[in-house]
Order: sequence, then C-alpha cells, then structure tokens
Amino acid sequence: MKDDGVPDGAELARLIDKVATERDRQAYARLYSYFAPRLNAFLRKSGLPPNTSEEIAQEVMLSVWRKASYFDPTRAGAATWIFTIARNLRIDHLRRIRTAAAGEDEQGEVETAPSGETLLLTAEREARVREALKTLSDEQATVLRLSFFSEKAHSEIARELGLPLGTVKSRVRLALGRLRVLLEGQS
Amino acid sequence: MTIRHHATDETLMRYAAGQLPAGPARVLAVHLAGCPCCRSRLGEFEAVGGALLEAMPPAPMAPDAFAAALRAIDAQPQPLATAPLARARTKPDAPVTLPGGAPLPAALRDCEIGPWRWIGLGVRASTVRLPEDRQARLTLLRVGPGRKLPEHGHVGTEFTQVISGSFSDGYGRYGPGDLSEMDQEIEHQPIVDPEGECICLAALEGSMRLNGFFGRLVQPFVRL
Ligand SMILES: [Zn+2]
Ligand SMILES: [Zn+2]
Repeated sequence: MKDDGVPDGAELARLIDKVATERDRQAYARLYSYFAPRLNAFLRKSGLPPNTSEEIAQEVMLSVWRKASYFDPTRAGAATWIFTIARNLRIDHLRRIRTAAAGEDEQGEVETAPSGETLLLTAEREARVREALKTLSDEQATVLRLSFFSEKAHSEIARELGLPLGTVKSRVRLALGRLRVLLEGQS
Repeated sequence: MTIRHHATDETLMRYAAGQLPAGPARVLAVHLAGCPCCRSRLGEFEAVGGALLEAMPPAPMAPDAFAAALRAIDAQPQPLATAPLARARTKPDAPVTLPGGAPLPAALRDCEIGPWRWIGLGVRASTVRLPEDRQARLTLLRVGPGRKLPEHGHVGTEFTQVISGSFSDGYGRYGPGDLSEMDQEIEHQPIVDPEGECICLAALEGSMRLNGFFGRLVQPFVRL
C-alpha cells in the first residue's frame, strides 16, 4: 500500500485473491469502497443516468464477489479486470434497453498457462500504460477520452467540437500513435 | 496462417471501451480469435480503461449501498470455486462449415446465418443476425475466383475479415485471418485472387448508411 492509504495494484490484486480464496468480507469492503464510487463516476461519464450508473456499479461489485476466482493477475491488473466487467455489463444494459434479447457475457479467450513471467509482463504493461497516458497533450487526452466515453463516431465528435473531421482523425491518430510508441518503449 | 492486416489502434480502442457497434465488434471478435497480436494490443487498451477507472474522481454511492451488496451476496448461491471451462456457444442447428469447407468462425456460432443469395457480379451474400442486437447486420460474402469488383468508396467504415480465399486491392493482399478496415476517405477496388473463391465477413459502421459498395449490393436484399 502507498502512504496515502489508496491501495496500489498489487494490494488490490491481493484483496481480490482474499475474496476468492477466503470469502473475506473485510477485503471485499475495501475493494467496494475503492471501486464502487469510481465505477459510478466512470459509468456516469460514459453517458448513463445517475441511478443507472449506481445500479450497474453495484452489479459490477457483485460480479467481483462472484467471479473473484476468475481474476487472473497474469492477464490483467485489478482495475483493468474490473473495468472489463463494467464495460460488459454496460453493453448488456444498453442492449437490454435496445432489444428485448438478453446480452452475452463476452469472456475472452482461454490463454496459455499463467507463469511468473506473464505476471511480470502484465504488471509492467499496466505501469507503461499509466506512464504513457501522463505524457499525452491536452488535445490528445481529450480525443482519447471522447473515444473511450462516447460511442460517437469521429464524424460526430468533429461536429460536436466544431472541428473538421480530418483534424479529429489526426488528433486521434496522434494520441494513439504516441501511446503506441510509448507502450512499445521505442521513445 | 500469417496475418498481415490487423485492426487499427482506433478500432481496438473503441472495442476495448465497449463503444464499437455490435456488427463491427463481431467482425473484430472473429479477427481477435485468430490473432494473438491484436489480442495483446487489445489488452493494452483495456489497461487504458483500468487506468481511467482508477483516475475517476469518486462519485459516492447511496449510503446503504454496501449493506445492500452484502445482502445480495448472502442471497446468492455459493460461487464457483474454480474458473469455468470455456462455454460452448454453439447452437445445435448452426452450420459448422461454410461453402468450400472452411469452418464457420467460432465467434459466429451463436448467430443466425441466412441463406446464400446470388446478388450478381459473381457475388453471393448471406445475412448474419446477432443474438445481442437484432438491428445489427453482418454480411457473409462469397466472391468467385478472379472477380473484380467496381471501384468504390464508403460512407461509414467498412470492416472486412477474410475467412477463406484471398483478395487484393490497392492497399494490399488480404488472406485468411486478415482484417481490412476501409474508412470513408478511401476508394478501393477489390479483386479476388484467381486461386479460388473468397469468403469474407463484412460490416459497415452505421447500420442505416448502407451506401458503400457492399451496401449497394446488399441493400435490396436487406429489410431496413
Ligand atoms: Zn490482428
Ligand atoms: Zn470496400
């Protein structure tokens, strides 16, 4: 844990593991108090009304309890794993509204056996992504966020920002290109 | 199978964010199933999501929310102690092979595959309907060997995943496992390679804007 009492990635992963193996409610309470309000904010930012964002944040946290044993720290960090649960539940929710048909829980591929090496690589990737995000310019960060939090195609984003489509597209490309270079450690 | 044409960063990010419409998302799912490289890049964009989540200024839950969560947990049946086996999503009556013998991609096995229709220019098409979004339209296309399609542009981005055979256009040669993303600024003229028929899966972003080439071909046969 860091000095400020905010759990770091390793601590969060340990808490999920305690929930998985010991059904530890104290560990769960800490995960809940850290993630639920952030999920609530995240889902609201991605366009859900406040009541719905809270409902889905709650569903995500219940999935965290139920699926804790599926968490694989060699594949994704704790926050990334919880983000993907929220993403999938949000998609399911939107589809439930749009059509009566039930959504599918998109679980990823079964990967190769975990190893200490993949665990290290995953932790390193999470750190690299965070470093890379910090170096984006404001404009690049804005388009990245817009792409993440809005389902609008770039032509719509362009109209909204009052920018030519080409400008939006090139900013997205710049942001992603910059991210890619940093992620691949070429800079 | 060597994959030479991959998803763009933009598309992988929108998929990671859960913002890609259902049709293109399925085309990408077919690509991802066969492409460890794009799966790994997707993992990076999902990590962007994790980082954005952690950076959110917290929006408090209702005061009794945690108590309600504990009550819900107590009401739940005991969770599984071990990770699940990969779930089969095959519908029992789904066809397992495509014409020519290529297997139907696993990522499409829960879809409704429509009958093949002749739509001219040596092209047959079959409409794919998704269980999660009845409005989304995907199209499987079978184009005869050596067929040259007219040069065309696109209104929305066109996602095309090659399942069998191959075609070429001004941007390269696309074989099994390759993904072509053609955005609206690009004009191209696909030519199927002479060795055999090419089967691909195509989706246009923006289901109501089917004026791209495939759209013009398919539109008369699709009820919008
Ligand atoms: Zn790829
Ligand atoms: Zn085209």
